[in-house]
Amino acid sequence: MGEHETHGIIENIFDGLLGKDIYFWNFIILMVFTLFEVGAVFFEGIPLTTVWAILIGVGIVKGYGIAAYFMHLKGDPRIYTRTALFPVLFVLLMLWGIGLSNPGSVQGLPDWCTPNWDYARNR
Amino acid sequence: MSGQEAHIENTLWMKAVVMGSIFLLIGVAAYATMGVGMANVRHHEYEEAVHEYEDAKHAYEDAKAANASEDEISQLYDLKTEAHHHEIDAHLSYLTWRTAGITILLMCGTYASFIGLGGFLNSIQPQDDGHDSHDDYGYGGGHEHHGSGSPIVFAFGIMLFLMGFPSFQATLKDMLAGNEAALGDLGMSMVGLMIVVIGVSNWWREDLPFIGNNEQLATSDPFAGQHIRKAGLWIFIMSEIMVFATFFSAYLRMRTEWCTGWQVEAGNCSQVNMLTASDFLRPNGAKLGDIGGQGDFMTLLPGAINTFALIISSYTIVLALKTANTKASEWKASQGFMGKIMPTQKAAIRNYLIATLMLGSLFIVLKLIEWSHLVAEGFTIETQAGSIFYIATGAHGLHVFIGLLVMLYLVFKADTVGFDEKNAQGIEYFGLYWHFVDLAWVVIFPAFYLY
Repeated sequence: MGEHETHGIIENIFDGLLGKDIYFWNFIILMVFTLFEVGAVFFEGIPLTTVWAILIGVGIVKGYGIAAYFMHLKGDPRIYTRTALFPVLFVLLMLWGIGLSNPGSVQGLPDWCTPNWDYARNR
Repeated sequence: MSGQEAHIENTLWMKAVVMGSIFLLIGVAAYATMGVGMANVRHHEYEEAVHEYEDAKHAYEDAKAANASEDEISQLYDLKTEAHHHEIDAHLSYLTWRTAGITILLMCGTYASFIGLGGFLNSIQPQDDGHDSHDDYGYGGGHEHHGSGSPIVFAFGIMLFLMGFPSFQATLKDMLAGNEAALGDLGMSMVGLMIVVIGVSNWWREDLPFIGNNEQLATSDPFAGQHIRKAGLWIFIMSEIMVFATFFSAYLRMRTEWCTGWQVEAGNCSQVNMLTASDFLRPNGAKLGDIGGQGDFMTLLPGAINTFALIISSYTIVLALKTANTKASEWKASQGFMGKIMPTQKAAIRNYLIATLMLGSLFIVLKLIEWSHLVAEGFTIETQAGSIFYIATGAHGLHVFIGLLVMLYLVFKADTVGFDEKNAQGIEYFGLYWHFVDLAWVVIFPAFYLY
């Protein structure tokens, strides 16, 4: 995988640590974070918002680990990262649509910016 | 991908037929031991548990009707509840073995069909003399790489299969229900499947001798200078991200209308009106009437094991690629156990791929066991939450399964002509797809199983 070698801060810390490469450490981090994720829902008493934060935070770390190192976006030309991120535009549009189409989630917007709720209720 | 640079004896393809036969044997053996042997034992236990529960229920109702003492009624109620739990456990245990046996049989049958038929179709081809036949395509006899028509044949087969799918599934349903079925309605889908197998077989024939020279490069922006297959794969992944984003947006939109256990806990509503899969799987899930809320460590276990299985399989495919990219002169076998199971570079690549195949297969088996438990507990596709859960996780499972069929071929190639630093792109590009499938699970697991 010579063509995918990268030399950022994370790689300098982990690559070669204890004689193991960045892929090994990425794998270990993914396993540990998954344990953390599954464990979070077992502990009673953790506030709901904390569990959400843990699930989202762990998801971001795991997603980054897989995309950046296993899919080697970190060492590949930027065009691949841009290709992978292109659908984010549509995801944002979808989230916007979800917000606008749900009477409970968006309050106080001017009339021209909100859908016709009467139509939605009476259809 | 028709490099046609290495000479491939047609007898080599017979190895694929042997592999197919082995898969068939494994499937039949697994079905016989798990799906029939163990499942029958568990079914017997389940029937006994049903009788015990019926007896306990009658005893409790009789005691109530006879105005027995409160202590006695309370004792009988506890016995009835215990018998009910025992009945549910026995039922789920039976489903576990039965589903595992049937799933392994069906998976191995599909593996055998693909690798066996693909190998057979190629083994009966006229013997390739090993010469590069670019002249036939008007490339002037150089080493310029030319494209393959097989993906188009493959896509055409898929199109026919899907066009015939509505009547295909209706006919299968009738057959399984014992109703009169019009077998002719299976026709279009079956023709589609046959074209898929022919397309795949030809694709394999073109790829097997490929030793990595003359990889086509994109000549225009934005991918200028990049391997054209890699750029194509990333565009494919981009389209896949949008497919899964659609599932998530549908799921999120629907969840905003539901009063789930989470919403009640957050104080946004008071009465649960929808149970999600997580209410059946994670601890402290909500209840609606008599169903839901039974989640514990064991119910979440298959999903959790699957998460680890996919991460490990992502790592094993990275190891296969890393091993393939290592120069033969620099490669050394490990010490100890790993050295024994991977004595040569070729064996190491093949065994890492086999490990990936096995982990992916485990994922499918556990997924279907989990589905069978969820359906038995009342979480069916008829509800909104069930519909989006089964569609999203089913689409993901289908991606895993298609990946496993490709992996079968990679294992075959690794075991025959082998991979090295020149032709390792096959593993790399497949790895990108496999990592994407893992990435999708990273989002699906917390969203559907934990939230």
